[in-house]
Amino acid sequence: MPAEELGPLPAGRHGYSREQVAHHQRERLIAGLAEAVAEKGYAAVTLSDVVRHAKVSRRVFYANFEDKGECFLAAFEIVVDHLRELIAESVENVVGWPQQAIAAARAVLSFLAAEPDLARLCLLESRVAGPALTERLGEAAGELAPLLARGRDERPEGERLPSSTEDSTIGSLVSLLQRKVAAGEASQLEGLLPDCAELILLPYLGPAEATRLARQVA
Amino acid sequence: MAVRALPGKQNRQPPGPEPVGRDSAAADQRRRIFEATAELVAEQGYQETTMEQIVRRAKVGYATFYKHFADKEAAFLGLLDAAIERTAANVEGAYKREEGPWADRVGAALGALFEDVAAHPAPARAVLVEAVAAGSEAAAMHELALKRLAPLLRPGRELNPRQAQLPDSLEETLAGGVVWVLGQRLMAGEADKLRALLPETLEFLLRPYVGEDEAARGAGEAADAISAA
Repeated sequence: MPAEELGPLPAGRHGYSREQVAHHQRERLIAGLAEAVAEKGYAAVTLSDVVRHAKVSRRVFYANFEDKGECFLAAFEIVVDHLRELIAESVENVVGWPQQAIAAARAVLSFLAAEPDLARLCLLESRVAGPALTERLGEAAGELAPLLARGRDERPEGERLPSSTEDSTIGSLVSLLQRKVAAGEASQLEGLLPDCAELILLPYLGPAEATRLARQVA
Repeated sequence: MAVRALPGKQNRQPPGPEPVGRDSAAADQRRRIFEATAELVAEQGYQETTMEQIVRRAKVGYATFYKHFADKEAAFLGLLDAAIERTAANVEGAYKREEGPWADRVGAALGALFEDVAAHPAPARAVLVEAVAAGSEAAAMHELALKRLAPLLRPGRELNPRQAQLPDSLEETLAGGVVWVLGQRLMAGEADKLRALLPETLEFLLRPYVGEDEAARGAGEAADAISAA
């Protein structure tokens, strides 16, 4: 990428390599898009909004992304990557599947509650941003299935559970979160932890044990 | 039908042996606008859909569109309302007609829901998928649609000895799970394969109330009924 395509560098001796600056500009664009989407919703966001929030030129935008949709997808993927890491970290030193599942749910809910704009971007705006993004949300949520399916080892007849058990559970979770965010209550998502825990554990541990563990986190 | 007599207007009424009365003509226009809106939203999303596209696809004029709806959102909300009412009537009707135990009634209601969605995939997708993020009124209607399933599930609590401990949000959460599964299938273009999912989805709904053995039994009966049909 030629240097002039990168737009104006910050004045002074910044000491960054060209690659670092390019990477930084891409991140600024993604953050700019997220801010603009939070401000007026994906549908109403224009390219001018994105570059204004990102404080880079249009040319830099086009050097990084083809259009608004591609930039949105990048933002979506960054949040999903981050959630994936948070989930992996949250279960690291936790013993036993039920407690790991609860820890993962807690990590996801705390992050989304602390970042209501990103919660909205991922769970709601992704549904506005065209059919491809809507499908991407389904795929991303589907990544939780193997984590949930490990609950099948918790019970002798675990394999007898219907194969769609994880899908239905994920659907309930996403729907629960979406509706909370749509109601403008994203910052209160952590309050859903007991309900989420019960929902996750129920098929694998049975109702009595699921309720008992869910009450412990309440 | 004065419209036909106006010079320069195309004949937008479907040809039929009987002249269409004014009421049914208006109903037919609304139906066409709903169909066009549902198809376009399913194809390209709510935001990308324009009034121009709706008018063209529905084969109505702008004046006709404005006679029924103020804007695109009003047409979309009208579509949601019509779809929810039709589906709810089918689902609640099936629940009431079934005289067996509660689990059978839920099975009948769920069967009616799946059939309705399979028969009307585009409006169903509007309600189940698109409405969540198409503005606050549409999101509220999605919420309302979910909540209409709750009264059918709630009697199951009486079958559960631990009913006092069940979370308050249980019914809506279960309904949310069903909605997600249906939405994912619709997005994958697999509306015709929904029937195969019915037994498992029924088991998912029954399990929190009657325990897994009873739920599996109910699901098994549903599967038998499907293969017999």
